[in-house]
Amino acid sequence: MKTIEYIGEHPIFGQIGHLFIALAFTSALLSCISYFMSFMSKENRAHPEIFKNKWQKLGRIAFGIHTFAVAGIVGTLFFLIYNHYFEYYYVWYHSSTTLPFKYMFACFWEGQEGSFLLWTIWHVVLSWFIIRKGDEWEAPVVGVIATVQVFLSSMLLGVVVFNYKIGNDPFILMRLNPEMANVPFLHFADYLSKIKDGRGLNPLLQNYWMVIHPPTLFLGFASTVVPFAFAIGGLLKGKYTEWVKPAIPWTFFGVMILGTGVLMGAAWAYEALSFGGFWAWDPVGNASLVPWLTFVGAAHLMLIFKNRGQSIFSTYLFTILTFLLVLYSTFLTRSGILGSTSVHAFTDLGMSGQLVFYMAFYIVLSAYLLIKNRNKLPKTVVEEELASREFWLFIGTLVLLISCLQILFSTSIPVFDKLGFYHVTNFLGTICNFFIGLINDLFHSSIALFQKRHNLSPPDDPKAHYNMWQLPISVLLGLIIAIGQFFKYKNTDSKEFWKKISLPLGLSVLLSALVAWQLEFDRVNYFLLLFASIFTILANLDFMVRILKLKIGHSGASIAHIGFGMILLGVLISNAKSTVISQNKSNVNLGKDFPNNENVMLVKGDTVPMNKYYISYKERTRGTDISDRKNLYYTIEYFKRNDDTKQLEKQFELKPIYQLNEKMGNVSEPSTKRFLTKDIYTHITYADIEDVVNPSSVEGYKKPITKQMKIGDTIGLANTLVVLTGINKSVNKEALKLDKNDVAAGAVLKLIDINQHEATVEPVMVLRGNNLFSIPVVVDSLGLKLEFPKINPDNGMADIVITEKKTNEFVIMKAIIFPYINLLWLGSLLMILGCLLAIRKRIR
Amino acid sequence: MKKTHIFAIILIAVAIGAILSTVSSSGTYSDFSSAAKNPDLDFHVNGKLNKSKEVHYDPKENANLFSFYMVDKKGVERKVLYNGTKPQDFEKSDEIVLVGKCNGEEFIAKSILLKCPSKYSNPNEDMKEFKTKG
Repeated sequence: MKTIEYIGEHPIFGQIGHLFIALAFTSALLSCISYFMSFMSKENRAHPEIFKNKWQKLGRIAFGIHTFAVAGIVGTLFFLIYNHYFEYYYVWYHSSTTLPFKYMFACFWEGQEGSFLLWTIWHVVLSWFIIRKGDEWEAPVVGVIATVQVFLSSMLLGVVVFNYKIGNDPFILMRLNPEMANVPFLHFADYLSKIKDGRGLNPLLQNYWMVIHPPTLFLGFASTVVPFAFAIGGLLKGKYTEWVKPAIPWTFFGVMILGTGVLMGAAWAYEALSFGGFWAWDPVGNASLVPWLTFVGAAHLMLIFKNRGQSIFSTYLFTILTFLLVLYSTFLTRSGILGSTSVHAFTDLGMSGQLVFYMAFYIVLSAYLLIKNRNKLPKTVVEEELASREFWLFIGTLVLLISCLQILFSTSIPVFDKLGFYHVTNFLGTICNFFIGLINDLFHSSIALFQKRHNLSPPDDPKAHYNMWQLPISVLLGLIIAIGQFFKYKNTDSKEFWKKISLPLGLSVLLSALVAWQLEFDRVNYFLLLFASIFTILANLDFMVRILKLKIGHSGASIAHIGFGMILLGVLISNAKSTVISQNKSNVNLGKDFPNNENVMLVKGDTVPMNKYYISYKERTRGTDISDRKNLYYTIEYFKRNDDTKQLEKQFELKPIYQLNEKMGNVSEPSTKRFLTKDIYTHITYADIEDVVNPSSVEGYKKPITKQMKIGDTIGLANTLVVLTGINKSVNKEALKLDKNDVAAGAVLKLIDINQHEATVEPVMVLRGNNLFSIPVVVDSLGLKLEFPKINPDNGMADIVITEKKTNEFVIMKAIIFPYINLLWLGSLLMILGCLLAIRKRIR
Repeated sequence: MKKTHIFAIILIAVAIGAILSTVSSSGTYSDFSSAAKNPDLDFHVNGKLNKSKEVHYDPKENANLFSFYMVDKKGVERKVLYNGTKPQDFEKSDEIVLVGKCNGEEFIAKSILLKCPSKYSNPNEDMKEFKTKG
């Protein structure tokens, strides 16, 4: 068969990329083998001084090559995206020519292949900190990380072995991608001339949070590998306890970064997604929260071990579990199993098998090493004292584990369903039904029986389901954190304990009663959480002031705990006391079980009362910048009535966005007015965009608007961009039936519609004798009338009069008040600060 | 017995409780006829929009009432009422998942989940669009 010469392709860069992937894979393999040989092979154990250094050196060199190769992959992929080489599937699928430079990196985390790459980069970066230190832990720790790198780079290989495809190659050409096999035109030599642009990056990701949130979260995920590698390294090396001390700062670092990543996700959801809050128990959010909980547990267990030399087994368990849970959440989000349950899960690329294998490998490895060495781990001989810090630290980690398990189970329902788990639940349900029946008979009660199921779907009301468990757990955690620091290691004198704790305890009771009364808390469980979080804050504050005497260097733990307390408090108040103020006094009610009428309709120009405010929909504008064209901005003005003058006075305005998103359907982005003590959150729930999409369908014209423009200026209308590209001084007078002596000039206007179709029109201004008149242009397809009546003599700018077709424009929006949500963000910052201080203390 | 053992036992008990509660509060994908049999319970019902019947949303009349007809997996059709705004791109949806309960002949939805073809990026679908443009 004759090979076709494809016009305009740049296959060489893809080949370079392939080469780098292969190199990354083999060098990682070589590196982990060499590192393990340096401390594990027989001759090395016999003559460590001769061989150890050589193998270790080789491992390090191989890791250097691996680093180079990973940098090469990133560089090549970025080069392809930057140059818009759309013959590459990844580039076509995730970018476009109009993508601004600042969002080009976001292409890396839109696609799965790119996100594995991001993860790989962070592992490499973290490893170099350990290699640079170059102590006895370099070989085992970097060795273990190198095994992870082998797996991760295999995710990019894209080779077929025995009919099984390993990994997905980001450098595959579009015409070679099996997904595109039935697109015939890709097989013509000139196919590239037909591909004008890529599909583009999902507009939802073109947001500054999406530039910083994924790399932070992935750094957090990547950082869990370091303590894991220390633990496994310790088991392999026979240093069963010595690994804990060097692993502690890494663990705090990971807790801080992963926590920041999760909170940034919450902030992004609050700011850019419109589900009305910062946490919706979304499976993907849960999947990153769960490893953080065990990570926090691991950090505290390490402290117990360091101070008291006990609970090493639990320390191993939590450290290993954290890493495994990161793998599991990768599996949840990448296997497509969450498909219908989450907003931001990736689609299946056929890599679930590989991910399961990868998980199984580390489960088996860790279980084997732990069981094999179980007798060599130091046993706790002393009985814990109830009045000791280690006891309460340990109980705290158990509570964290319960919290983690509950979220994990509920999030995994789609997995259980796939596995046919409902047979088990039906069986359990039958047993429970027996007892429930018994209870019902004995006490004449009517507790509901378990239903038999043929499949499992996520809870009907996820918020209620999670809160039922997580609220009491948070209360317990808050109380444990509050009292924990007042216990000393080993044993605490109870008199002293009560003396110290009575002040914050008393103050907390008073303060929480006051807050509950002020904010009208009416539920016991809310009150308990309110007390627990205030107690956490005050007790730790008191500890910092009275016992640590405000020595900031030692206050890391206290500050982080105060932050945690504030997060709890902020979450509690802003959720429990959030109010939808856009209540519509509507006529139809579907019953008390159903959400209230929470949406309010605003016709343009009307002012309606809402809560203490009067709101008005002023106008709709469209972004002018090419990357902003997709956004429709709705200006909503908030007024208050002045009691004296009876006049409405404008307080502020909000600009919620309705985004025309071709990639995943239109989305609305909220806009929030922030006050110190509350946020007013506004988002569009329904937008009438008929006139934007199909402007010629509406009748009648609106009031004309006059704009002064100079050449190059742009005006953004709802459905059109108007650009003044020039002034035409040689107008074809005959065509316009003008006199020879008339002076005429045309304003050359480029019109760009929402589909990026361009048209040029030229309204004309005519000077006949002393009379000035204009010849307008009507563009029916866009519902526009354009006029050019004059040029301003003083500044040379052209007057352009634009008349848009009238629409009975309206918008439907929802507004929610979140009180004291700033406590949440302040708490987050304090928690990060506390972690930083703790890290600083441990590495000094 | 050590004190931590007591807590370990409590932990196990709570964990079992968590599993059971997860099971009991997890829903089940079902159809209209099962939902009609148990009007007190919430169900997840998946199906398709009947595009030949009226999809009603008139915000000027009531911005919080949206109704349409859905055909479930078994081919049973019911009118669905939803107390909220019409979801974006509703007509484009491939599959609909409703959570709610039956009330007489109508199904009252608490939430509506849409599966849109574009969201589940099918490259062939995209190529179709793409070809008409190119």
